[in-house]
Amino acid sequence: MNRFYFGRRIAIGAAMVLSLTLARAADDLPKAETILDKYVEATGGKAAYEKHHTEIAKGSLSMAAMGLKGDLTTYRAEPDKSLSEIDLGGMGKMRDGSDGTVFWSLSSMAGPHVKEGAEKVQAEVSARFNAELHWQDIFKEAKTVGTDTVDGKQCYKVQLTLAEGSPITQCYDKESNLMVKMTMTAQSAMGDQTVDSFVSDYRKEGDVLVPHKIKQSAAGQEVVISIDSVTFNADIPADKFALPDEIKALVKK
Amino acid sequence: MRVSFGGMVLAVALAGLSFAQPTLTPAERQLNIDSFEVVWTTVRDKHWDPKLNGVDWQAVHDELRPKVEAAKTMDEARDVMSDMLSRLKQTHFGIVPSEAYKELNHKGDSETASTEDGDPSLDVRLVDGHALVTFVTPDSPAAAKGVKLGWEILRIEGKELAPGMAKVRAALGSPMLAELVETRSVLERLEGPLDKTIEVEFLDGNDRKVTLKLGRAGSRGTETFFGTLPPQHFWVEAHKVHADVGYVRFNMFFEPDAVQASIQKILADCRDCKGFVIDLRGNPGGIGGMAMGLAGWFTSRSGLLLGTMYLRTTSIKFAVFPRAEPFRGPLAILVDGCSASTSEIFAGGMQDLKRARIFGAHTAGAALPSMFTKLPNGDGFQYAIANYISEGGKPLEGVGVTPDEEVKLTRHQLLEGQDPVLDAAVSWIHGQ
Repeated sequence: MNRFYFGRRIAIGAAMVLSLTLARAADDLPKAETILDKYVEATGGKAAYEKHHTEIAKGSLSMAAMGLKGDLTTYRAEPDKSLSEIDLGGMGKMRDGSDGTVFWSLSSMAGPHVKEGAEKVQAEVSARFNAELHWQDIFKEAKTVGTDTVDGKQCYKVQLTLAEGSPITQCYDKESNLMVKMTMTAQSAMGDQTVDSFVSDYRKEGDVLVPHKIKQSAAGQEVVISIDSVTFNADIPADKFALPDEIKALVKK
Repeated sequence: MRVSFGGMVLAVALAGLSFAQPTLTPAERQLNIDSFEVVWTTVRDKHWDPKLNGVDWQAVHDELRPKVEAAKTMDEARDVMSDMLSRLKQTHFGIVPSEAYKELNHKGDSETASTEDGDPSLDVRLVDGHALVTFVTPDSPAAAKGVKLGWEILRIEGKELAPGMAKVRAALGSPMLAELVETRSVLERLEGPLDKTIEVEFLDGNDRKVTLKLGRAGSRGTETFFGTLPPQHFWVEAHKVHADVGYVRFNMFFEPDAVQASIQKILADCRDCKGFVIDLRGNPGGIGGMAMGLAGWFTSRSGLLLGTMYLRTTSIKFAVFPRAEPFRGPLAILVDGCSASTSEIFAGGMQDLKRARIFGAHTAGAALPSMFTKLPNGDGFQYAIANYISEGGKPLEGVGVTPDEEVKLTRHQLLEGQDPVLDAAVSWIHGQ
């Protein structure tokens, strides 16, 4: 999974609008570039990342308050192909993907959707393979804007500005250099929804550290994603990222 | 705590019913005080409007807290809490006396729901206060005993329906919700173990009283599960009602994969159809998001909204994502007093978008998502967590959807085997 930017893809329609108050950057804060580089080092280093060309992550997704639980599988390939499949109990199957050109979502519940505008920009970032290494290409600006406390530990807040849409704020643990929290405003036709993601349970998969638990809150709902396995460089059939027929038909229109 | 579907309207209906109670013990009095605080705090923290509809909530607390402390009976304590909630002047907030809840939620001869339960396989609607049979499943226990459309149910297991229904209507004060609550109550009274019969007294087509012992069959459809909700039986049917009119009906907004597959198939068979009917009569709602997916089958216009749900910290737009090849012909949606929640969101939104013509009776006006929780004193407490405004700018809660063409059921038409609502819709389609 995209460890660097994962909020939009797994924010499955949850919704909340909050005002985001960013702390004022202090002069003694480290540069965002330094923090982001340290994150790559802390999770395995650039060379380890560059060995990876595809990724399959499997796990589960639960909404405890509603008693919902289901399976989650994500497929990713260089440079920006992705497919997420969620089968969440009685809500049916939900898919979200990219063939590198078209960014889409599809579910029986809401129907097919081709992303445009700010929603597409966010999806492009989400689909970017090894985004950790390419943040300077992805974001217009990255700056350290303050500190926060997550689970009793101090972290640096880094604000990342996209070409379009709201910025993303990520918080990196001062000691471990690992990202522990991300806040973003997911933008879609359903409105702007602030999503807070708390990232934990980093474990080694091959040569890199991968978070295995992501707790997201949005619209008063909490979603917990647990990753069971991550396989790098697995053979993924080329047609895995092909557009579903419903999406193809929309694109042709 | 769980999201309540049937319970949500039940709760409103029952708020205000009273039962004689003995004087409270000190422990019971404390439980009522604790319950008062739970209700007050929950509304303060969970209501979608932080201004609480303009009510000075702290002042309400300070005024009523001494009263709940002084309450000598359960009734008095409930009255204080109901008074507190009434200050909001909104529905879907209510105190449900535990005894009343049991009374109205009573099944034919079983206190506990079970997947082994069944019913005689008939459907009922309230028509002018009379519980009339509106559907009898072919080859069912009811059909085997000769039950016909239009027959009125007078008694179930010897208990007369009319007095109970009158009580509910009086307690509720809203004829819209009353129809929903009373209908469900009648249907639930018919449910019970598969291996037991139930005695039902009818008024037949010749106005003669007929008492039948009806067997029960498993509920129609397949058992479906959704989170913490109890198992439900889901069914969907899709076919043509005339050579040139497509028709789909499902009993609740669950199983999105199955609904999608059925609509996809009937639309493929119905490309040349002159019109299409979506029958939401009796559909109590379910997964709200399914309204968006359903709408996408019937419009090619992008950027449409059915409406917006407002929670305390955010709003969620019910956006419509059109399918690549939607049905563009005349669309009729059938509703009645038992169409609630997601059914109202869909019908109201499509009406506002001028994409569908609505036929039937006024809907239940029960569109708010609400939660239902047990209070420390054992009573139930229902509270809404969001408001919903349809795209035309009107709230659905307490208002419902008014049909473009109101079609009232009559006993005579039912006895003749007619479906005047569907007939009106088909007639309109053919006139387009």
